[in-house]
Amino acid sequence: MRIERKSWNDPVLVATVAPLALVMVAFFVVPLLMTVVLTFQTTQFYRLVWTWDLKVWTEVFSKPHYWTIMIRTVTMALICVVLTVLIAFPAAYALATRLKTFKTQIQILIIFAFLTDAVLKTFGWILILDKNGVANWLLMHAGFPPEMLNLLFTPAGTMIGMVYNLVAYPMFTIYLSLVRIDRDLVLAAYDAGASRIRTFFEVTLPLSRPGLYSGAVLVFVLSLGAFLEPKVLGGGTSPLASELIRQSFETRVNWPLGAALTVVLIAIGALMLAACAAFALRRTSTTERPA
Amino acid sequence: MASPIIDASGIVKDYGAVRALHGVSLQIGTGEFVALVGPSGCGKTTLLKILAGFEEPTGGRLEIQGRDMRGVPAASRPTRMVFQKLALFPHKTVAENIGFSLKLQKVGKAEAGGRIRAMLDLMHLKPEYLERYPAQLSGGEQQRVALARALVSQPGVLLLDEPMSALDAKLKKSLQAELKKLHREIGTSFVLVTHDLEEAMMLADRICVMRGGHVVQVGTPADIYYRPANMFVAGFIGETNFLPVTATAAGGGMEVASPLVAAGQTIIAPEHVSPSLSAKGTALLVRPETIRFLKGDAAPGEWLLDGQVEEYFIKGASTQYRIRVRGLDAAVIMDLPGSIVLPAVVGEAVRIGFDPVQAFLLSE
Amino acid sequence: MMSQRMRNALVDTMLVGTVVLLLVFFYAPIATLVAFSFTSSRVLTLPIEGFSLQWYGELFNKPDFLPAVVNSAAVAMVSTVFATVLGTAGAVAWIRYRFRLQGAFRGLTFAPLLFPQLLLGVVMLLWFSVLGSWLGFSTGLVTVIIGHVVYITPFALVVVAVQVYGFDETLEDAARDAGASGWEVFREITFPLLWPGIFSAAIFSFLLSWGNFYVSYSLAGTARTLPIFVYSGIAVGSSPIYPALATINLVPAFLLVIVAEVLRRRALRRQASGISTS
Repeated sequence: MRIERKSWNDPVLVATVAPLALVMVAFFVVPLLMTVVLTFQTTQFYRLVWTWDLKVWTEVFSKPHYWTIMIRTVTMALICVVLTVLIAFPAAYALATRLKTFKTQIQILIIFAFLTDAVLKTFGWILILDKNGVANWLLMHAGFPPEMLNLLFTPAGTMIGMVYNLVAYPMFTIYLSLVRIDRDLVLAAYDAGASRIRTFFEVTLPLSRPGLYSGAVLVFVLSLGAFLEPKVLGGGTSPLASELIRQSFETRVNWPLGAALTVVLIAIGALMLAACAAFALRRTSTTERPA
Repeated sequence: MASPIIDASGIVKDYGAVRALHGVSLQIGTGEFVALVGPSGCGKTTLLKILAGFEEPTGGRLEIQGRDMRGVPAASRPTRMVFQKLALFPHKTVAENIGFSLKLQKVGKAEAGGRIRAMLDLMHLKPEYLERYPAQLSGGEQQRVALARALVSQPGVLLLDEPMSALDAKLKKSLQAELKKLHREIGTSFVLVTHDLEEAMMLADRICVMRGGHVVQVGTPADIYYRPANMFVAGFIGETNFLPVTATAAGGGMEVASPLVAAGQTIIAPEHVSPSLSAKGTALLVRPETIRFLKGDAAPGEWLLDGQVEEYFIKGASTQYRIRVRGLDAAVIMDLPGSIVLPAVVGEAVRIGFDPVQAFLLSE
Repeated sequence: MMSQRMRNALVDTMLVGTVVLLLVFFYAPIATLVAFSFTSSRVLTLPIEGFSLQWYGELFNKPDFLPAVVNSAAVAMVSTVFATVLGTAGAVAWIRYRFRLQGAFRGLTFAPLLFPQLLLGVVMLLWFSVLGSWLGFSTGLVTVIIGHVVYITPFALVVVAVQVYGFDETLEDAARDAGASGWEVFREITFPLLWPGIFSAAIFSFLLSWGNFYVSYSLAGTARTLPIFVYSGIAVGSSPIYPALATINLVPAFLLVIVAEVLRRRALRRQASGISTS
């Protein structure tokens, strides 16, 4: 792989980099900045007024209602991380080590399910989790009491939806990490006298850490913004931050508030990202052997 | 061999419909340095993996230190391996890499530390390397850490899978010398897999030449070089000459004749005849260093050939000449001691000679 | 010895079982939708009574349906073009170049991946609303397209980057040596070799845009794309037309994904075999 050094005088570099950079700046960075700016404004009679004060921020920090919801959102996110990683790891491990012959087909199946319309999939879950839905129907025919599962419109239902939509991410990152582990390292551990379980904990697991951490962080950050699942599957019974934000735009038309809540959420996500990045960089060794 | 440390008999290995090893038998003595040599696909690496326990043979019997190894996993065998790509744990320090097997055997910290440091000494590695990671060491240093890791648990047999194939020529030479010295110092049995017969001849007490899943010849370096079993083994160490001859039994040895040669000594003593001589086609193996240019009279019994110089190559310590002889398909190759004065030029008509006593009669 | 082998077999079975269970988990709602699309009753309960294709017809009779489809298609096509082009450029800049501020560029183009879609939509909605009140426009399909491009380009970038990573530039050298100009090198060598990755990225982008809800919902204003259509529909009440819609979506999408993946992998394999091992 040859790397070409380029300077900004080179028109090819400008042509390649500038359009994308400009789009991102104009429609990603600037909106972010604008959001922060908006937190310092207020609304009067459903119209935005350009004052510059901290009124919204005092409101955000003083109302316990908001913090309950924020804490609940973070808790749900953390639970989601644990569940998705617990499910994704063995599956990724199996795909990387045991199912090499079918890996292409399985990957296609997973990607396809991932790309399918989220709303439709969530609707499918309604049909499954409903009191008279598929899950209860199957259980009833297996001999369990009818209408045993009552997962729709509960936090559990929300969590199922969240895990469902996000488990593909850590599966992908963990798989990539596992597949890059040199098979000889496992053999070297056996050769030194290690059992298969011991080898897993001494060699495989440590070397899959990059995939584990990046998958976990990804799930955490993305689940902060879960909207469909708590609203549709959870029935709005324990609203999360996303619901709060939507409300402040749609029903209460309080943009600064919505902006502030968004900033808080983004800040939580960014803090978590930064913490993990710092933690990952602290490891002094590289895990790559020189060529 | 009295109580060999490794006794493999009739090892067969199949991968589905493909047979990689056809009944290979080999015995390795305690403290011996044996090399498994052959072209790619000959099965030498497969055999090594079977010795290590990473593959189970489809048939045959393997005993190491007198124990039947069937079903015994690699972790429980008295063998340790140095992998081709070294396989040093990138996330562990040098000390942790070397001490890994000791940790598994629950050796006490103090004793383990002592043994690890002793290994570093043996491998001429500086003690400050203990806390470094493999990525921070040079290729040669990583090699030595891999050796230390394998030897620290005092295995009965050390297995080496082409450990020097990825190194440049100079590093390779110095590591080969170190490996030979190491073997003499510690006396463990070594089994080395390599495709380089020169390396095998330099390092090994005995060489096992393999081809297509079969053992072709087992012998000392001298055996392999001066009394090769057939033309494949003879030609495996670089270029050499095969002079087609007719051979008939006579006077306890073989009488040979070739239409290209003026009469000379024609009886070949039995020790210069391959035991696996077949009627398929006999040839006289004439090593390039045994041929000379004839400037004066022939020595008694010397065989003479007339030809024309096709090309020469100055290799420094030696000069190689290629002589085109009418009636021979391949050019005759001569290796002469290097000299600033060239004995012949391209295109010159020359007469060359060699002593048939130094030749070896063999078949394909 | 025996128990070790049996233990290994048990672990193997459990691991493979995890993958099977995962696939069942993934396809449970999808399979449910497909099954229900063929029911003849108006209500979505089990057991499914009768087999009927009437809901597929009903779907097309719904007045909002076709406009939503047209909107989704238009948005997806435009977004795909932009996301793929920008993603390809970005991938080249990520992998093959080294320039000042490259780190910032990488962060900038990767960050949207890490953003929850909803927040991305909200943030852009705020910006467009403010801009709109200054410049006099409101959110609609154009803003949806912009939102999609911002969200999807990082994905396209990653897909193309994988292809670029395995690319052998000595082939370009050989073309230049034979007398090709910069543009000709790109047209004859670079682009054709990167094409499978680019095509794959395009298909991913199309599908991501087609099925996108969060960003569209925030930025569409009064216009509707298909996912929004479904969302408003479910909010009112369930009906078998949505399963029918899901099923119609599935077949072409599935074919597209397979085509994309097969092409991509074949090209990667061809690249790998072409590069000589030193």
